[in-house]
Amino acid sequence: MKTYRVSFIINGRKQVMDVPANMTLLDLIRDELDLTGAKCGCGGGECGACTVIMNNNPVNSCLVLAPEVDGAEIITVEGLVKNAELDKIQEAFIENAALQCGFCTPGMIMSAKALLTKNPHPTEKEVRAAISGNLCRCTGYKKIVEAILAATTK
Amino acid sequence: MKVVGKRVKRVDAIKKVTGHAKYVDDMKFHGLLHIKIVRSPHAHALIKNIDISKAKELPGVEAIITGKDFSNTTGLYMADRTVFAIDKVRYYGDAVAAVAAQTEEIAAQAVKLIEVEYESLPGVFDPVEGMKDDAPRLHENMHEYSHAVFIHPVPHTNVSEHFKLRKGDIAKGFAEADHIFEQEFSVPMVHHVPLETHTTVARMGLDDQLEVITSAQSPFAVRQLLGTIFKMPLNKITVKAENIGGGFGGKAGLQIEPMVVAMALTLPGKYVRLTYTREEEFQSAVNRQGLRAKYKTGVKNDGKIVAQEITYIWDAGAYNDYGVNIVKTAGYSCSGPYEIDNVKADSYCVYTNHPVGCAYRGFGMCEIHWGIEQHLDTIAEKLALTPVEIRLKNGLKDGSLTVTSEKLQDVGYLKCVERAAELIEIDKKAAPSKPYKRRGKGIAGGYKGPSTPPAAASTAIIHLLEDGTVNLSISATDMGQGAFTALAQIAAEELGVDFDKVHVCTPNTDYTPYEWQTVGSRTTYSAGNAVIRAAQDAKQQLIAFAAEDFGLNSADLYVEDGMILSKVDASFKKQIQDYAMGLVCSNGSGKGGPVIGRGVFIPEGVTNLDFETGQGRPVNHWTFGVHGAEVEVDIETGEVEVIRMASVFDVGKVINPATAEGQLEGGLIQGLGTALMEEMIMKDGKLLNPSFVDYNIPTSEDCPEIITEFVETPLHDGPYGARGIGEPAMIPAAPAIANAVYDAIGVRITSMPITAEKILMALKEKEAREKGAN
Amino acid sequence: MRIGNFEYVVPGSIQEACQFLLEHGADARVFNGGTDLVIRVRDGHWNPKYLVDIKRIPELKELSYDDVNGLTIGATVTLNQLGSLEVVYRQYPVLIEGAHVVGSLQVRNRATLVGNICNASPLADTAPALLVYEAQVQITGVTGERLVPVQEFFVGPGKTVLQPGEIVTKVIVPPIANSEGKYFKHARRKAVDLSSIGVAVLVIGKDGNHVDEVRLALGAVAPTPVRAKRAEALLKNATVTPELLEQVKEAVASDISPISDIRASKEYRLEISGVLAKRGIAEILGWE
Repeated sequence: MKTYRVSFIINGRKQVMDVPANMTLLDLIRDELDLTGAKCGCGGGECGACTVIMNNNPVNSCLVLAPEVDGAEIITVEGLVKNAELDKIQEAFIENAALQCGFCTPGMIMSAKALLTKNPHPTEKEVRAAISGNLCRCTGYKKIVEAILAATTK
Repeated sequence: MKVVGKRVKRVDAIKKVTGHAKYVDDMKFHGLLHIKIVRSPHAHALIKNIDISKAKELPGVEAIITGKDFSNTTGLYMADRTVFAIDKVRYYGDAVAAVAAQTEEIAAQAVKLIEVEYESLPGVFDPVEGMKDDAPRLHENMHEYSHAVFIHPVPHTNVSEHFKLRKGDIAKGFAEADHIFEQEFSVPMVHHVPLETHTTVARMGLDDQLEVITSAQSPFAVRQLLGTIFKMPLNKITVKAENIGGGFGGKAGLQIEPMVVAMALTLPGKYVRLTYTREEEFQSAVNRQGLRAKYKTGVKNDGKIVAQEITYIWDAGAYNDYGVNIVKTAGYSCSGPYEIDNVKADSYCVYTNHPVGCAYRGFGMCEIHWGIEQHLDTIAEKLALTPVEIRLKNGLKDGSLTVTSEKLQDVGYLKCVERAAELIEIDKKAAPSKPYKRRGKGIAGGYKGPSTPPAAASTAIIHLLEDGTVNLSISATDMGQGAFTALAQIAAEELGVDFDKVHVCTPNTDYTPYEWQTVGSRTTYSAGNAVIRAAQDAKQQLIAFAAEDFGLNSADLYVEDGMILSKVDASFKKQIQDYAMGLVCSNGSGKGGPVIGRGVFIPEGVTNLDFETGQGRPVNHWTFGVHGAEVEVDIETGEVEVIRMASVFDVGKVINPATAEGQLEGGLIQGLGTALMEEMIMKDGKLLNPSFVDYNIPTSEDCPEIITEFVETPLHDGPYGARGIGEPAMIPAAPAIANAVYDAIGVRITSMPITAEKILMALKEKEAREKGAN
Repeated sequence: MRIGNFEYVVPGSIQEACQFLLEHGADARVFNGGTDLVIRVRDGHWNPKYLVDIKRIPELKELSYDDVNGLTIGATVTLNQLGSLEVVYRQYPVLIEGAHVVGSLQVRNRATLVGNICNASPLADTAPALLVYEAQVQITGVTGERLVPVQEFFVGPGKTVLQPGEIVTKVIVPPIANSEGKYFKHARRKAVDLSSIGVAVLVIGKDGNHVDEVRLALGAVAPTPVRAKRAEALLKNATVTPELLEQVKEAVASDISPISDIRASKEYRLEISGVLAKRGIAEILGWE
């Protein structure tokens, strides 16, 4: 199968790979780079469990094709930990018990990260809008919203 | 208490927020083969022929198996299914064959090349129809199926369980009544929707040791049932279940594991994995059974209910291996948390050509309370009582007799009713935000016990390590509910060590001890008690060593803060690690050995119920609670907005406020989803909304303000008084919203979910009725 | 799991893209935001041999406004990028409201307005806005360019006037003075859902209860997004009264031809379309 040379930044490091056209970004990071934080909850851009940040915007990695990442900058949940230090959003999720089964958590945190990068002091309404593309079946979202708001004061 | 009742951080939090937690589909295996399933495109059909010849030739295909390859029957309570359908398929999506291939793509391609010849049969798409004599039969040989002793199938029908409850004298009860009310309600099939779909990996070792890594709530049940199906000694099966991306009952018992194991047995030495797509999950993974409920209730003028006759007819789907017990549970809980002297109830489990019903958070209780709690409000209104008054009048309290004539103690239900009503400010009516909107408030209550067979056991082992830290070994699973954290807190509290000294060893049937199942909101109660006993056992060993070492009376010694202390000698102080490996005498010789605490628990006094009357003690404890809702209804479009909700539950004792609140909040919103938007829409057995596009679950923007509060009426044999809470937290949410909608617009929606369209239609009917009346 | 079996083509110019599409006909598909396309390929509804990624063609990234030509939205401008131009909020509120209720935030970071209309879904949330603003669709093919009014662009469910080898390069929304508008999306939940009904309301020349003109466009109620012409006729140079709005509500129902599906019944759509149209006008007039 024909492959395409892509050069991109993933979690701050440059990566050059040859990828087939019909591979999604989600499969690229999970299968090829072993970054399995992003999950496949539906494969159709409906649940948000595969959310990563691409060129500063949260996207569903299941709807991005691997060749498209050429020249892009991608951040996954694994990229938030710097020198074994957790991101303040991750800390806030722990402190606020804002997770249960944990399957939606990486995608949820990436949506929150994208929001707070652009808007460091969002309202509760803005937080709810920013994560409305991330389904969570366990928590009822209350503690997630509280955690994201708490992270803004850290 | 030092650890119990504290908001400690979840033990699984760091790995989950960093993406390091490995779920089954995240794991890498050398040479892994991928499984895809061939599924029925008919709801009910005979399998005439399966031609695998073309698929077999496809390069990369390693094996193809069909029903005939594995003919043993299985089922948790009713052995009504085989690994794959053999002679006929019973629902759209029924598994017919499986392919294992080197890639998922090849497996998917091979599935398309398998030619199955079917002969279509008439189907059953309605449980009431399915009960009729001339209805097509799904399981012709049901009378030959083996089943649990407490299940009572009706031979030569589609009824796989008929639970009968007879309390008091129903005729006398109705004769005494001043008013009789009759009402019907319905609940559609809904889906669990765990964010992680079902997924399992297996490998049959060349040494005949079977390894199964699965997203399952109950690894020991998986092991036992796999042993039965495949006739394997249990110690030849290893089941591991660590991270589970949501269960809600849908991963209880045995689910997709037999298909994966069948393939593993076909390909010894190779890892094989099956992960459902979301569409497959909706269509072919299990769901919550549908219900048709009918109530006839006799009431005195003062609101006291004196008689109730109930019929529950369950749309249980094509296989009822689990569902029969839900139907039984609904039967022995039939009237909700109310004391009624004369009750007659019949609960029927009916096979239909629908996807398979299973345990789902609440185990039948969400479904029956949808009707019970709306019916109660209907009665109250007619008698000019408030929703609070009628519940206080009839609610279960200390000394009450349940419908099975169990005498209750330590019941906090009435407190929950009053508190939820206060929190939602039921007497204050807020002004609507628009002229075309109406506001309303409502409450609903509920109760549930762990719906397990009587002798469901838990065990725990506590290993004290050389440095005084602790490994807690349990096989309860953590599917998000926080079991690992709560059990670690109980271990730390009882053992007298810091919380961060306790490490939870996650379930692996080779190394962690027996646990019946992680279901039924039983874990904190049952496994929690086992952990307490294991900790006590470990402490006794430590104290015995210290007493012998210093010639002290062991009755004077106790453990606190990681030290062995004396009640009589304040200066006596020994670290627990000094004895963790046993007693070392002054001459250097050893005695005893490493400290291993062992704890087992089985709830005592629970019995099978009388077949004719359903009387007896069905569960070891009950959990009670109440939801309050405030809604705003748009009378021009029918849209409902839930403004805020209150959740008040009597949990006996809060082990961890943060995770307990999480249960209340999550359960509430799951209930809100079923109230307003969730439904498996089917036509002739085919699911029309098998994806997130058209099966909606609540998003962050659909959630109201949530107020939670706990009542703590200790359970006499609960760990520190704790009761189960996971399932109860969901039960009354939907009827509370329905009652609030009624309060807002005077229209009662009896069929779940409450859609905008149903409201608008009901409003128009009401308008027409009122016009007609004038 | 791999998605389909195709080659990935990155044309350097619009002409190159059109040429490739013309040569390969049904075997080639334009790959823009991909949020619908990837799913259709995954599910086997589409089996392209080539995906032509137009996102690297510089001219298609234009997003600009001037008082003469109005708003120009290049083919690859995402729904979220629309909001980067402040004037869109001020001049075209219906459009921004429509754009912001398509899918999720993640989807809107990929999905484009042009892609939304090229799918020609009857329920596309940006289409009613483009209809009330009377936008023009610029189409480029191998032989040249043409400008098509948006109301003529949609032909049926999934069908547009696009011919083989043609792509939509931009949408031009003319300037509009003295207007106020709203978009109502009726769906089963509050976020990330397909519209059961979408209603765009644009009131032009409001003076008290007098209006020069009201434009009404609806989605999910006909084979294509539609203008409610009979209802609009009632509101031409009119003084709006509650009685008139009741007539408008009835007229809207006569302007549309909804069907029943699992999201809503025909009867419900007929009822609610008028309610929302009426409500939009009343709100803009400050009645509610």
